Amino acid sequence: MKDSIYLAWRYLRHHRAKTLLLVLSLSVFLGLPLIMRAMSRATQRSLLDRAEATPLLLGKKGSSLDLVVEALYFQLKGAEAITEADVDAIQATGLALGIPVRTGLMARGFPLVGTSLDYFPFRNLRIAEGRGLAMMGECVLGAEAAETLGLGPGDALLTSPSTLFDLAGVYPLKLNVVGVLEPSYGPDDEAVFVDVKTAWVAEGKGHGHQDLARAGPDVVLKRKEGTVTANAKLVQYNEITESNVGSFHFHGDPSSYPVSAAIVVPHDEKSGVLLRGRFVDAPTRQLVRPAQVVDSLNKQIFRFERVLEIIVWTVGLATAVMFVLVMVLSWRLRAEELRTMTRLGGSRWKAAQIMGSEIALMVGASVLIAGVFGIVMAQYGETWLQNLILRGS
Amino acid sequence: MRTERPVLTRAVVMMAALAVMALGCSKKANPNPAWDSKHPDRFSIYTVNYPLRYFAERMAPADARVVLPVPRGVDPAFWKPSADAVQEYQAASLILLNGAGYAGWTSYATLPQARMVVTADGCRDAYLRTQQGVQHQHGPEGAHAHGVLAFTTWLDLRLAACQSGRIRDALIERMPTAKAGVSVEFKTLERDLLDLDERLRIVGNALGGQPLLASHPVYQYLADAYGLSIQSLHLEPDQALSEDDWKEVDAVLKQYRHEWMLWESPPLAATEAGLLERGVTAIVFDPGGQSPSGGDFLSVMKDNVARLECVAGVKPCR
Repeated sequence: MKDSIYLAWRYLRHHRAKTLLLVLSLSVFLGLPLIMRAMSRATQRSLLDRAEATPLLLGKKGSSLDLVVEALYFQLKGAEAITEADVDAIQATGLALGIPVRTGLMARGFPLVGTSLDYFPFRNLRIAEGRGLAMMGECVLGAEAAETLGLGPGDALLTSPSTLFDLAGVYPLKLNVVGVLEPSYGPDDEAVFVDVKTAWVAEGKGHGHQDLARAGPDVVLKRKEGTVTANAKLVQYNEITESNVGSFHFHGDPSSYPVSAAIVVPHDEKSGVLLRGRFVDAPTRQLVRPAQVVDSLNKQIFRFERVLEIIVWTVGLATAVMFVLVMVLSWRLRAEELRTMTRLGGSRWKAAQIMGSEIALMVGASVLIAGVFGIVMAQYGETWLQNLILRGS
Repeated sequence: MRTERPVLTRAVVMMAALAVMALGCSKKANPNPAWDSKHPDRFSIYTVNYPLRYFAERMAPADARVVLPVPRGVDPAFWKPSADAVQEYQAASLILLNGAGYAGWTSYATLPQARMVVTADGCRDAYLRTQQGVQHQHGPEGAHAHGVLAFTTWLDLRLAACQSGRIRDALIERMPTAKAGVSVEFKTLERDLLDLDERLRIVGNALGGQPLLASHPVYQYLADAYGLSIQSLHLEPDQALSEDDWKEVDAVLKQYRHEWMLWESPPLAATEAGLLERGVTAIVFDPGGQSPSGGDFLSVMKDNVARLECVAGVKPCR
C-alpha cells in the first residue's frame, strides 16, 4: 500500500499545476459551506452574547434595531436621542442603574463613546495601562484603538469635526489619553471612552473660555448693566486642562442634554418587569430587551444563510462533477501509462490502488486546507462579518 | 524513496500545526471583573465638607470609614482634587455631596452616579443665590451668566437636619443591618441641630431686623432662615484691610448704622481696632465648612450661637 501512495504522491508532484487546481477547487467546495456556517454562527453568538449581557436599553421610540446597534456596537449614528433626565429618571425609580451612552462623534476613525463610570464594571472592562477616567477632557482607549493609533497614557487625541466643511461648527477637542483597556474582544476594543460631559463639550454643548470679567477691551465689544458682549477674539479652549477646567460650563440645564441611549440594569428580575411595564405605553420612549432584538436579527441572518447555502451547494455540486470529469479524462489520457504498468507485471488492482491514493491525497489535502481556513475565518472573519451585518460595509 | 518521505511528513505536520494555532487563537480571554477599589473590605463614605463628614460620623456604624480628603487649611468649597484623589472618591461606597454647587470640582470630575447622594437637593424649593455673576455674550447662544449659588446650606440648621436625614436614608439603604443604630443616632443628631435652630430663631426675633455686617458672603442661609439682615463685604480675616477696603466699610456704615460684624474667624487686631473706632464690634461666626482645629461641628455651632445670643441680648455674654 505504501508504494501505491508513494507512486500517487510522485504523480501528483509531477503534475503540480493540475493537482493544485483540483485541490483548491475541492477546498472551496468543501470549505465554503463550512466557513460560512462557522462565521455566521460565531458572529451570531458574539452579537447575542453582548446583547444578552445588556438587560434593557432605553431609547427614543423608533427602530429598536437602530437603537441596539448604536448603543451596543457603536456602529450607527443618528438615532434620535433621549436626554440625561431620562437616565436620572431611571435612577430615581430605585429599580435599576441607568448608564448613559452617547455616541455620534469620532476620534481619528474610532467611535467616541460618552458614558458614566458605571459602564466599565458593567462590561467587565479593566484598565491595562494608566488609569480610569477622573476628570472632564480625559479619555480611555479600547485595546484595538490604542494599538492602531499607537497611543497610550500621556498622549493626546483629537476628536474629528462632525462636519468637514462646517467652518462655523464645533472645533475638535483635544482629549488627554489617561488609560488603555484590556482587550475584551468586542466593540469596546475599538472605542474611545470619555465622560458623557466631555462628549457634550466635544459636541459644543459646553465650552470654556477666558474670564470675561477680566477680559481686555480688544475682546469686549460692550459692557452694559452687568452684561459683557465679547467679539470673535474671545479665546475658547480646545483642550480641558487642570488649569482651565473650572472655566468649562454648560449653557442650559445639562439634564436636557442628549444621550443616545441608556443601558438599564435592573436590581432584580421583578424590578426589570416593573420597569418594562412602565414603558409599554410610553409615547416617546422605548425600553427594549437587546437580546430579543438581536435574536430577531439572527433569525433574519439565518434565513439568508439558508438561501446562500443552497447556492453554495449547487456550485459545489458543479465543482464535484468537474472533478470527476477531470479525473475520468485524466485516466483516459493515462491509458498508455496503465498498460505499461500491466506489462511490467503490475496488477489492475495495483493500478486502482494508485488512482485511489491520488484521489485520497487530494481530498485529504483539500479537507485540511478547508478546515484550517474555516477555523481562521471563524476567528478573524467574525469582526468583518459583524461590520458587514451592522454597518453594511 | 526514503529521501522523499520527510517532505510528505513535513507538509502534514505543518498543516496540523496551523490548525492547532488557529484553534488556540479562537479561545477568548475571560476578563476578570471589578474596577479597582483600594479598600474593598470596609464601607467607605467620602464627603466634600466638614459638616457632612460630621453628620456621617455621628450616624455611621463604627466599622464604616468616613473620609474628607481635603488637606487641612484648604477651603473644601474651592479645593481642586488631583486625579488620584478623584479615584479615591470613585472607589468609595458612598459619596456625600452638599448640593447648591458646593465643591465645583464635582461638576467636572467623573464620579459614579449610583453612589452619589446630593444631600441638600430637595430640602428646599430653590437654593439661594449670591450676587449675580457678570452676564456675557459670545457666539449665537445669547447672553448668559454663570449663576452662583449660595452653598453654606447647613447654616440653616433645619436644612442641616434635612441633609442629615438624607445621609441617614443613604446609610440605611446601603447598610440595612445598621438601620436601628443609624436611626437612633440620627434622632440624637436631629435633636442637637433643632435645639440650635430654636435658639437661633429666638436670636432672630430678638435682633428684629437689626442690620449686621458680614466680612464674606457666606451667611445667606443663616439670614434667610432666622430673619437676619446681613450685608456682606469681601474681606479676609487674616489679611490687613487696604485703604479701599476701609473706604468700602465706611461707605456701608454711612448707609446703615451697623454695630456688629460677622467674621469667619477672628480678624487681625488692627482690623478689630479699626472697626471698633467706627463703632463696630467683630463677632466670629465660623461657618464650619472646614475641619475645626478644636472641638467639632456642634461645639463650633454652639459657640457661634452663644456669641449671637450675646449680641442680641438673649443671654449674657461669656
